[in-house]
Amino acid sequence: MAEYELPEDEVSTYGRASILFAAAVSLVVTAVLAWAAAGFDVFYEGLFRVGPTVEGGGVGSDWVAGNTMPALDFLIALIHAADVILGVFILFLVFVHWAAFRRLAAQMRPPGWTRSGTTPDAERTDGGEAE
Amino acid sequence: MTNLDHGKFTRMTTTFHSLLALDVFALFFTGYALMFNDHLWWLLVLMGGNVGVVAVHRLAGLGLIALVVFWMVMMLITDTGRSNFREIVPTREDVDAFVQDVKFMLGRADERHPNARQFAGYESDEVPLLSYVGKGVVFIFAIELTLLVVSGLLIWSKSGLMQYFATRTAAMAFVVFHGLLGIIMLMGVMFHIFEHGFHPAFYPLETKAFIPRRMIPESHADDADADGTGIEELSLASSWNKVANLMGVLVVIGITSVMTASIVDEGYPVPRELHLEGSPFDLLLTIGINVGIFVLFVGLVLSLYGNVVRRRWERQLREEREGPAATDGGDVSSAED
Repeated sequence: MAEYELPEDEVSTYGRASILFAAAVSLVVTAVLAWAAAGFDVFYEGLFRVGPTVEGGGVGSDWVAGNTMPALDFLIALIHAADVILGVFILFLVFVHWAAFRRLAAQMRPPGWTRSGTTPDAERTDGGEAE
Repeated sequence: MTNLDHGKFTRMTTTFHSLLALDVFALFFTGYALMFNDHLWWLLVLMGGNVGVVAVHRLAGLGLIALVVFWMVMMLITDTGRSNFREIVPTREDVDAFVQDVKFMLGRADERHPNARQFAGYESDEVPLLSYVGKGVVFIFAIELTLLVVSGLLIWSKSGLMQYFATRTAAMAFVVFHGLLGIIMLMGVMFHIFEHGFHPAFYPLETKAFIPRRMIPESHADDADADGTGIEELSLASSWNKVANLMGVLVVIGITSVMTASIVDEGYPVPRELHLEGSPFDLLLTIGINVGIFVLFVGLVLSLYGNVVRRRWERQLREEREGPAATDGGDVSSAED
């Protein structure tokens, strides 16, 4: 029904290899320029940790120093435990879903499946099965 | 056959979800650029340094408070909201669904429990509004957001905090507490991105949370005597295998890294124990946390993509309603079987 025709093969396009090559060159050049701009320094920046609770953003100190409230220590230990317990559980959920997704994917039609059982040509078009 | 088979969220909910996602991503990017500064220094620099990032974090925090309050009021004043309370209460079925999911993973069950099913297909009526994971997400978000908002406001209002805890040390401890609390959500959101972006039937995005229920057909024309969900009728995308495995690996690395870092980098703003910068462990942690940030970025992109899909879906529905003859004629060819 479409009243237009796609140009198929006769149009000149860019090859996949050239695209990958140009992308690789651009990434390398950008990285080198960033490195040069940073004065050929190591990428790691030993950062000054700044305490946002201090007026003017001064350098803070560890909260443990000078802590006189055992409740705070307990509270933070509790959150640590919650982080790890829930983290391990969330990881487990990821694996459960990952495995479930793989099983479900195995039940689906493989990519390129057609009713006649033949695989279509490289380009997957929607109306291909009519012909 | 459509794969949008159980869009059950209202337009209010889908819009809320998108706004909440944007806001929470802003909070993650700013908050963890501060907390995991040793590993995400570039993010902090990119966003204009400490002062700017703290300001944006507070602004996004205010946005979060507004969103949460809006949500609570909606749940209280509307019938739809109140009836949804029943939908989120965990039941025995949810426990069963979790157990069955583990069995399904091990190959000892043939299908997922309805309370776990994301793709319901022909059996969409059996599927509840929220899966057991969905209910968990609602509960954890409710508890976490409340605690984060309270601790965040206390940190912000110095005089308010000092009223309860007289020392600066206590204020520091609250910053630590606030950051550690967010870790649970950070890990949960990474899993959420994997769960709803990489299901084989919905890949690259489960549109349930983006297309409102008013715009989803209630039933399929051909589901009268169908057996099972009909997932075997769907074709797998050719890139699914590669991309889902890659994302699975990235999500696992991201979760493991932020979990480890939450222990190592505890003593914000100065680590409790000094560890050698540039050690192999530290390097791995840096890579892992950056992988985690990348996963979040993928989630942000997918959230925006969901809204693009919704716009397209809206336009297609409007075109079909206005004039069937004027459309592309796709209906005619699909009616052949």
